[in-house]
Amino acid sequence: MFAINSYFSLGYLLLFLPVSVGLYAILPQKLRRWVLLSSSCLFFWAISGKLIAYLVFSVFSIHHIGVWLSSIQQGCDRLLETAPKEERKAIKAQYLKQQRGVVAFGVIIHIGILLVLKYTPFFAENINTLFGALHIPVTFEIPSFVLPIGISFYTLQAVSYIFDVYRRKIQADRNLIRLALYMSFFPQIMEGPICRYSDTAEQLWEAPRIRYENFMFGSQRILFGMMKKMVVADRLNLLIKTVFSDYPNYDGFVIAVSAVCYTIQLYMDFSGTMDIVIGTGQIFGIKMPENFERPFFSKSISEFWKRWHITLGTWFKDYIFYPLSMSKPLKKLTSHARKRLGNHFGPLISGAIALFCVWICNGLWHGAGWNYIFFGLYHFTWILLGNIADPLFIWITKKLHINRNNFFYRCMQMIRTSILVCIGELFFRANGLRAGLTMFQKIFTDFSLQTVYDRSIFTFGIDRYDCLIVLVALSIVFIISVLQEHHIQVRKQISKQNMVVRFAAYYALILLIVVFGAYGKGYIPVDPIYAGF
Amino acid sequence: MIYAKRIVRCLVFIIGLIGLLTASSFVFQPKNNMSEFGMEEVSANGILGEKEHSIDVLVLGDSESYSSIIPLQIWKDTGYTSYVCGSPAQSLDYSQVLLHRTFEKQSPKIVILETNAIYRPVSDSSAAIAKLADHFSVFQYHDRWKSLGWHDFTGKSKFTWTDDYKGYRYNARVLASTKKDHMVKTETKAEIPELNIKYIAEIKEFCDENGAKLVFLSTPSTVNWNYERHNGIQNLADQIGCEYIDLNLMNEQLKINWEEDTRDKGDHLNHFGAAKVTRFLSDYLTETGLLTDHRPDADYAKWNDSLSRYESVVKNA
Repeated sequence: MFAINSYFSLGYLLLFLPVSVGLYAILPQKLRRWVLLSSSCLFFWAISGKLIAYLVFSVFSIHHIGVWLSSIQQGCDRLLETAPKEERKAIKAQYLKQQRGVVAFGVIIHIGILLVLKYTPFFAENINTLFGALHIPVTFEIPSFVLPIGISFYTLQAVSYIFDVYRRKIQADRNLIRLALYMSFFPQIMEGPICRYSDTAEQLWEAPRIRYENFMFGSQRILFGMMKKMVVADRLNLLIKTVFSDYPNYDGFVIAVSAVCYTIQLYMDFSGTMDIVIGTGQIFGIKMPENFERPFFSKSISEFWKRWHITLGTWFKDYIFYPLSMSKPLKKLTSHARKRLGNHFGPLISGAIALFCVWICNGLWHGAGWNYIFFGLYHFTWILLGNIADPLFIWITKKLHINRNNFFYRCMQMIRTSILVCIGELFFRANGLRAGLTMFQKIFTDFSLQTVYDRSIFTFGIDRYDCLIVLVALSIVFIISVLQEHHIQVRKQISKQNMVVRFAAYYALILLIVVFGAYGKGYIPVDPIYAGF
Repeated sequence: MIYAKRIVRCLVFIIGLIGLLTASSFVFQPKNNMSEFGMEEVSANGILGEKEHSIDVLVLGDSESYSSIIPLQIWKDTGYTSYVCGSPAQSLDYSQVLLHRTFEKQSPKIVILETNAIYRPVSDSSAAIAKLADHFSVFQYHDRWKSLGWHDFTGKSKFTWTDDYKGYRYNARVLASTKKDHMVKTETKAEIPELNIKYIAEIKEFCDENGAKLVFLSTPSTVNWNYERHNGIQNLADQIGCEYIDLNLMNEQLKINWEEDTRDKGDHLNHFGAAKVTRFLSDYLTETGLLTDHRPDADYAKWNDSLSRYESVVKNA
């Protein structure tokens, strides 16, 4: 009855989490880490059952690869200590080659499993289409695999661990339990954040005792996340489902509204989940990295991606963008281009190549579909254009005597960025690339305000009251975001108030969820969107 | 000292929260059992407006139940009072809600559960919400915030409305079934979802505690019923010690004509099919010897009024 299938299920919130926290609170420090590990295994098992074998395999393999890399590094260090100076370079190169082989082996295993499970149907489908177009009489059977939860997230954690050991950022961990905790910690397994070993492993192993402040702040954050998801994201779901599944019957205005609503839904769903995840971590005294920093205050697409799904962005930056940019061929290309194109445009070419790879990977990471690849390339294009045109914009604003730090100018930049993001999300949500292109086209070719005049817009899944409550909830999120942008910590401010005010604030939030949450008959709660990636 | 203070603070918070949920449940609870007051499934909830302890037989189930059983015909034939708390696509979590609601003011001696609902999967979230709503009805009626009025904050709940047809939904349309041999014998059992088995166990326990006999009834349907399902229910009935009547296997007695007695190609019975099922059921209820004929009782005079209104509609149709 109280099944555990997401962080918003009553089974998780009313049963699983309280029992885990309760056990963690009453047991001594040495046993607490076991509570965390067994809870994590139970959580994974409750959702994916036997597929937990994939996670167990990942843990064992990174443990082994880490130890392997470490022994190569130690062997190299020992030799270097005694080797004459002229031989050191050759020894280093020899051992580096060995290490690279091990890293490649580890990465191929992990990314390989992900590719096979997640992308085989997509590739098979496209090869079949290609063969069909070329009249080649070969057809591949399209397989379908059941994915274990969070495979896209924990695979990236595994790869980052291997790279960090290789780069000597961290020491290989010989403690299998600590590694298992790092990989499987239940609040983050489904939707991230994508943690680095140095972020959480030691904290999880330490298993600090539950502190009253952490418990209160964590619980408040969980409630805030529930409000975002249940009041806003779930309420908008009916409209979004209705319009996106039947877009030919709606005009451009309705499609544009749905694209905006979907962007809001995605943010409220994902950031709401992150509030639950990070809030849960805080209850246990585990500090996890933030995944969002008020992304809609971004003044450019590039900044947007530094504020949205931060841990994914930094992962791509650290493990794809930098290694590619720093690779010998691209370095060579940069120095050639610098001579011919100058200091601004020269490095842009190699940067663009690395960026292109990042965004193809980013698109594909989100899903196996052409619309996701388009989504990645769309953002790549805007970021690249931004980089190229930046000096031009600075020159124009200077000539026109426009202060770029002016409030109005910054607001316009934020609005422009938000519009571009909404367009990208339209393609992201559309049922395929063709549907996305048609919907986008309709915004311009079939734009009409008829649904506003005859008020039929309120019949597509959300009525006037729904709109009102969504606006109220968004206003609350906006005010809190503005305060956070000014480094005001809302929870700390509330905690300084007397008990009556504090309780009133908590009760108001709970009532907001209970009364205005979109649950029960007539509602279709949105499945955790990022858990599907 | 600081720990004691924190514990007291938490207790105060929890007590306050319970108070708040109780108060909001009072506000959001429909103040009458009509749709204008925010009541859901009005026909099924019409039982709340029946005179206290006046119903002998309660029928629960989905559309099969309200298409197949005519309480006013049972009244006419036997003098037993029955009410069909059926609703479209009813799942067992809601059947349980209706059962509990009914027993607050009624004490039926027989509870009939139409078995199609037993195979309808109950979603975990709706089951969990139903459990919470058992204690705080705000979880069920929270969406009424769109239509709250002043009377919701001040007035008490008073259920005054009842369905003249006692939950039965009259439909005389004829659309013949193309499928006639839906009960092909097999040993295979259709699997009943685990959560549903749990619900059935709870419903049985509740009926036992309240002195009511639980009966499983499969009404005729060529679309929804088959031998696998029959075997699954028979097995469940044997396990929990419950009587099971499958009318799909009793056509020699019932004489359902699938050319004339269905309104939608065998999915549901029409009024003519329902009349046949009801005649059988009247005989069955009499045979149990558990019920009293209320026809001579003046307190039940309103049932005769309902019967004459029902008969005039049926005759004129």
